[in-house]
Formats: sequence, C-alpha cells, structure tokens
Amino acid sequence: MNNLLSIFIVMAIINNMIISKFLGLCPFFGVSKKISNAVSMGVAVTLVMFIASLATSVIYNFILVPFSIEFMNIVIYILVIASLVQIVELIIKRTNINLYNALGIYLPLITTNCAVLGIALINAKEGYSIIESIVSALGAGVGFTLMLVIMSGIREKLEVSDCPKSMRGLPIAFITAALLALAFMGFSGMM
Amino acid sequence: MILVISVLTLIGLVCGVLIFIINKVLPPEPETLKKTEEIASHLPGMNCGACGFPGCFAYAQALAKDKNLITTNPCSTVMQDEKMLESLEKVLDIKIDASAMNKKAVVCCTGDPETIGDYSGVSTCRAANKLTGGFKKCPFGCLGFGDCARVCPQNAIDIYPARGRNVAVVDPKKCTGCGLCVKECPNNLIKLVPADTKIVFLCSYDSIKDVPSREKCFRGCLHCRKCYKSCEQDAIIWNKEKAIPEFDNDKCNLCGACIEACPHDKLIEFSKITSADREEYKEEYREKEKVGSK
Repeated sequence: MNNLLSIFIVMAIINNMIISKFLGLCPFFGVSKKISNAVSMGVAVTLVMFIASLATSVIYNFILVPFSIEFMNIVIYILVIASLVQIVELIIKRTNINLYNALGIYLPLITTNCAVLGIALINAKEGYSIIESIVSALGAGVGFTLMLVIMSGIREKLEVSDCPKSMRGLPIAFITAALLALAFMGFSGMM
Repeated sequence: MILVISVLTLIGLVCGVLIFIINKVLPPEPETLKKTEEIASHLPGMNCGACGFPGCFAYAQALAKDKNLITTNPCSTVMQDEKMLESLEKVLDIKIDASAMNKKAVVCCTGDPETIGDYSGVSTCRAANKLTGGFKKCPFGCLGFGDCARVCPQNAIDIYPARGRNVAVVDPKKCTGCGLCVKECPNNLIKLVPADTKIVFLCSYDSIKDVPSREKCFRGCLHCRKCYKSCEQDAIIWNKEKAIPEFDNDKCNLCGACIEACPHDKLIEFSKITSADREEYKEEYREKEKVGSK
C-alpha cells in the first residue's frame, strides 16, 4: 500500500509528466487558456492513460516478457493505444452522446498525446506490475490535470495583465512554464 | 524475427477485430445524429455563437430537431454566403429568405478626442469603462482599446487612429453580422443594421434635449436638423424624442446632400465606412473644412 502511494505521489508531483519529463507539452500550451477546458482535457487524458496503461501493462507482462521481445514495446504500444482510443470514442459516442459532446475534440487529440505513450513506456521501464502501472497512470493523469489547471489559472490572469506587446500570448506562457518548472524542482529527489 | 512479426500481426488483428465487434454490438448511431452531422458539415464551423447556441454543432443539433429554427435563430454567416445558403437549403429542404436576415455591425461613434484625464490602467475597454464610465468626456464615446476587435472571429474590426482619437471601425465586407462585438462593447456603441443600409448616423449619444451631445463632445450632434432639411427625398425622419435623424432606406437615393449638410460630419455613406475609405473621405472633409474656415 505504502509502495503504491509513493508511486502515485512520485508520478503526480515529483516526476510530473509535464514539468520534469516534458511530455504532453502540446496540450499544456494549447488547451491551457481556460480553466474549464483544462479540467475536461485533464480528465480525458487521465481516463485514457488509465485504460491505456492497463492494456499495455497486461500486454507487457503476459506477452512481451514471456517471449522476451520487450524491445518491440514502442511499436506495439502505439498500435494498442491508437485502437483503444478509437474503441473508447466509439463506446462513448454510441452510449452517451452528451459525454461525447463534452469530450468532443479532446478524445482524438489524446491519441497523439505523447504523455499517454510516455506513461506506458515508463511503466515498462520501471518494471511495474499491473496494479502498480494503473496507480502510476492515475498519478500521472492527476499530475497532468494539476499542471494544466495551475497553468490555465495563471494564463487567465496573464490575459488581462499589462505585459510588453511582443511577449503577449505564447512567449509569456513559456516563461511562466519555466518558472513553474523551477518551483516544482523543489520536489525533486524527495522520494 | 518470425515471433516478433507474428506477435505484432496478432495484436493488430485482435485490435481490428475488437473494433469491428464493438462497432457491430453497440446500437447504431441514432438518425438524428447522422442528420446533425450532415447539417453541421454545411455550417461555417466558426463557433461564433451568434445564432444563440453554443457552437455550430449545437446549432446543427437544434436544427435537426426543428428546421424552422433557421428563421428565428438565423446563422448570420450562412446568410451572407450564397453557396453555403444554397447547400444548407438543400439539406434542410426549406426555402430561406436571406436578405431579411442579413445584418452588419456598425460602431456608432466617430471617435471623440476629448478626455477627462489620462488613463493608464488595464488596457481593455471593459476595464476602462468600469472606472467612471470611461476616460472620454462623452459616456458614449469609443474607448478604442479594441475589445470588439479581439472577439471578432472574422478580424473585421480595426482601430482607426486619426487625429489622435481611436475609434473601432467594422469592415462591412468582412462582417458577418454575428453580433459578438455588440455584446462585447461596454458602451453599447455597436449596432446591427440591415446590410442594405445606405446612410448611417455615427453617434450613440442618447440625446436628451437638455444635455445635447455637443456639450460632451465637440464633434457631437448639434441637433440642428440640417440633414433633415437638406433631404429632398423625405428619406430622413426626425426622431423628436432623441433629436436624431433616422433613415428610410427605400426612399434614400444616396444623393449625399445630408452628408454634405452635416456640420459635424456625423453622417457617412455605409459603403464608405471602412477606415481606408474614411481616410479618403476625411481628406475631402478636411478640404471642405479649410475652405469653410477661410
């Protein structure tokens, strides 16, 4: 239990996907203009991460390891994650149209999100069991959502602040992200 | 090698079959969704929200339920574009009278240079308006920070800086009449006018007779009724309550007599409202002013 908790915290805060692994930066800058959008993107990513790492860790532990073809994990993970997102989208579309409309554009966007593949590869590299993989994916998803919400909160304030014309928009967002990463560096090496 | 290839093929096959099975097992897409998607493909997809629905897809959903909605909540962008209108008419199987719904936005202010003080706060109109109703003398003066330009999905609004005053100007060629700027302007200066309007009156000052707008703005309407008197077509109706001219589009033949007559340059031909045209127009006006001063 303690071990799982530490995996969760490490993935959520210390080895945060965005701030310390630099994965999933496109949604970090693309969808972080409004808090509401950031929350729905974060929830969608967490959901997909959860499903994807469940499937990939099953494949890793029961197919790749016994046949000792772990080196193929990137190719197989891409295949599996892409079809998983398709399936999830299909199911949501046919069963709950309102949820589909709410997630709408974000689901297809996530297919190409490197954080999802990243968490599957990290799980494989660390040699996590299935339960550990799920917990680490949830941690990574929560960390991703947290960063997105923090960033969008700051950017909403930045919108109305009086910053130099050439710095408006993305440039100031990059600087903000850098300062944010510096602040989160304080957590590094804690566990 | 063979093992790797076979594992990869197997996983691919399993994924493909899984998608196939799920596609078959789940209930098929409801009819309305198909219809909605078809309608949505004929909408502009700008998600401007002018129709009153949150985005084009929501509008398509509402249209799929009730196609007569197009008359009460028209999509201003489709109404401007004949091709889009035609294809939408085909999909909905309905005839649409576009000319009645075609609207353009006009910023009803010529730009008032007189201020009550320097403003150096947050540079948006909304923020400036919160502080004593704006830094301009006239409470109905364009503040010129361009809140409207920022919300315009067509980039149809630019800020026209002539003679030290900033005034937003809508380009009617680009404007689709979505009305986002109308909601955005804190001073309520932007009006939607029919696209076939000929002459517009560029002042929003709610004239009450005891405080004429010339007291707030040296370019304000004098309520002199010169335009009204100059019109030979009876196209100008004098609104006695507000003491401003109103126009009858059917009677107006664009002779330009009222524009010439206005001593404060408050009237402008609608087709010449863009900043580039106005620059020319101002040159003419300046000439006139010089001649007048002599």
